[in-house]
Amino acid sequence: MKLIYRILVRLSIALLVLLAIWGVLFYLAVIDEVNDEVDDSLEDYSELLITRALAGETLPDHSDGSNNYYFLSKVTPAYANTQNHIRYSDEMIYIKEKKETEPARILRTIFKDKQQQYYELTVSVPTIEKQDLQEAIWNWMLLLYITLLLLILIINTWIYYQSMRPLFVLLKWMDQYTIGKTRTPPDLQTKITEFQKLNDAAVRVVDRNQTIYEQQKQFIGNVSHELQTPLAICQNRLEMLAENENLNEEQLTEISKIQQTLSYLIRLNKSLLFLFRIENGQYQDPCQICLNDLIRTQLEDYQEIFRYKNIEVEWNPQNNLTVCMNEILATALISNLLKNAFVHNVSSGKIHIETTDSHLIICNTGRHEALDSGRLFKRFYQGKTAGEGSTGLGLSIAESICKLYHLQLRYEYNGMHCFHIE
Amino acid sequence: MKILVIEDDPSLREIICRSLEKERYITEIAPDFRTALQKTADYSYDCILLDIMLPDGNGLDLLKALKEQHKKENIIIISAKDSLEDKVSGLNLGADDYLAKPFHLAELIARVKSVIRRNHRDGINLIEFGNIQIDPDHFQVVIADQAIELNRKEYDILLYFIQRPERVINKMTLAESVWGDHIDQVDNFDFIYTQVKNLRKKLSEAGATAELKAVYGFGYKMTLQSV
Repeated sequence: MKLIYRILVRLSIALLVLLAIWGVLFYLAVIDEVNDEVDDSLEDYSELLITRALAGETLPDHSDGSNNYYFLSKVTPAYANTQNHIRYSDEMIYIKEKKETEPARILRTIFKDKQQQYYELTVSVPTIEKQDLQEAIWNWMLLLYITLLLLILIINTWIYYQSMRPLFVLLKWMDQYTIGKTRTPPDLQTKITEFQKLNDAAVRVVDRNQTIYEQQKQFIGNVSHELQTPLAICQNRLEMLAENENLNEEQLTEISKIQQTLSYLIRLNKSLLFLFRIENGQYQDPCQICLNDLIRTQLEDYQEIFRYKNIEVEWNPQNNLTVCMNEILATALISNLLKNAFVHNVSSGKIHIETTDSHLIICNTGRHEALDSGRLFKRFYQGKTAGEGSTGLGLSIAESICKLYHLQLRYEYNGMHCFHIE
Repeated sequence: MKILVIEDDPSLREIICRSLEKERYITEIAPDFRTALQKTADYSYDCILLDIMLPDGNGLDLLKALKEQHKKENIIIISAKDSLEDKVSGLNLGADDYLAKPFHLAELIARVKSVIRRNHRDGINLIEFGNIQIDPDHFQVVIADQAIELNRKEYDILLYFIQRPERVINKMTLAESVWGDHIDQVDNFDFIYTQVKNLRKKLSEAGATAELKAVYGFGYKMTLQSV
């Protein structure tokens, strides 16, 4: 959910509640004011009538054309004692002249004359229709709510996008950031402290990551380089030992085994260095390379080497697949994928290669289960079929090369293990 | 033949010297840049093995200095750096060969022999062992004055052995240098046996006086036939 939506929804709800409360209070205040005014006039009117009645003067007509009414009736003392002597109420009354019922404010006053006779005077004044008032207030509130809401939303959105602009610049910058690539820090052009702080923090974190990444990369590179000399010494001493005429067959076999392990170690080191160089972007000078030719020559070698596995290779080169790559990297990519297809294959298995002018697919038979595609390209991930001497770096190298040239390397299992490059 | 070994690691230096001395070369050593500069100024050598990373300087600077003094020594760079750029820059500065660590001793000897041979025979590059002659520039093999046809792999194998006669070669090492890096993770070396068997057959049919002897459990060795 975008922040702006969250803000707008909350504003709308808050506004709705506030305006509702305000509407109710406004209504009550208006009614109160109206009643107050009407009550005052009723009081004056009834006072006038009572004074006249007590003075024995003639009372005016029941209605004097002002829609004001009164009734004067005798009541028993018992009734008078049980009732409040001044009572206000809202009632519907029938107006004869108009021949309709209207809401009216009514004042009942009980008084007694000199003969101790109790009278009740009922005075009524037509008053405003409360339903109408409620409706009117409701309608205006609704209109106000919608107008206010629209205005507030528009203004808020505008302010939000105006003031959050530095944040968007920063977000975009962080989105585009890839570790290992140096980039200029974002230009926020802001005087707002929070954004400046956020920017500083982001740049600091990125810089620190960058440094750690560089150091780690450098460390791996240095270790690999430093290992070269001791590895050379080990290998060469073993070779000199093997030259010794006095060695028997058993000892020679042992030496051979040590040499095999050592050559694995050397290969591992070389692969790490290779990865390090690919990721360092040390392989430049791309040129047009025909992958079909590469596949053809390498396939011959692999078929010879893996003849004992009796693998059937299916390949109908249709179009020439040419890519713009560094030659060493292209060779390494094809070599790793092909080798992978041969090494992890079963005896009398199959390899299917498909080349079109936009993609390359290499499929091979193998174990009847899909591999974990999430971890497949991770360094040192070893499948269950990996034999002794496998560095676990081959696919990682292939992926690094593809990444460098923005090619997509995907794994798929459809009975055969397939690697797609697009 | 005198060879100067410029290498800071004492152990590696000792191995290289022992291995060269076995081939009847006379070796001199220089553990650092200063000594190397002094020795090259005072004496002349047939070949110089030069390590790039020295404790007190860069081997490439030494190479530049030597070329500026118009020294005719053959120089083989031995370096832990094996990237293409390093090789190109080394060779551009006038080195005759570039060998990345870790290397096989047999490889080193073959390279030393090769550069010295190139220098001494004015560019005619023939490798001989017994009555086998190989002209690597034209990929020609002559046995007992008769040219014979070999397929590519057989030729590569023969060339590899003839540059390292009388040395025991591990079959892994052989596979690595003939078939390239493809052979890691291979647990069956039948493809080597097949090629070596064919090569042996062709050699004996052509009447070669050298043969490929199997060293059981290890690899092969090229030796002269005992009469």
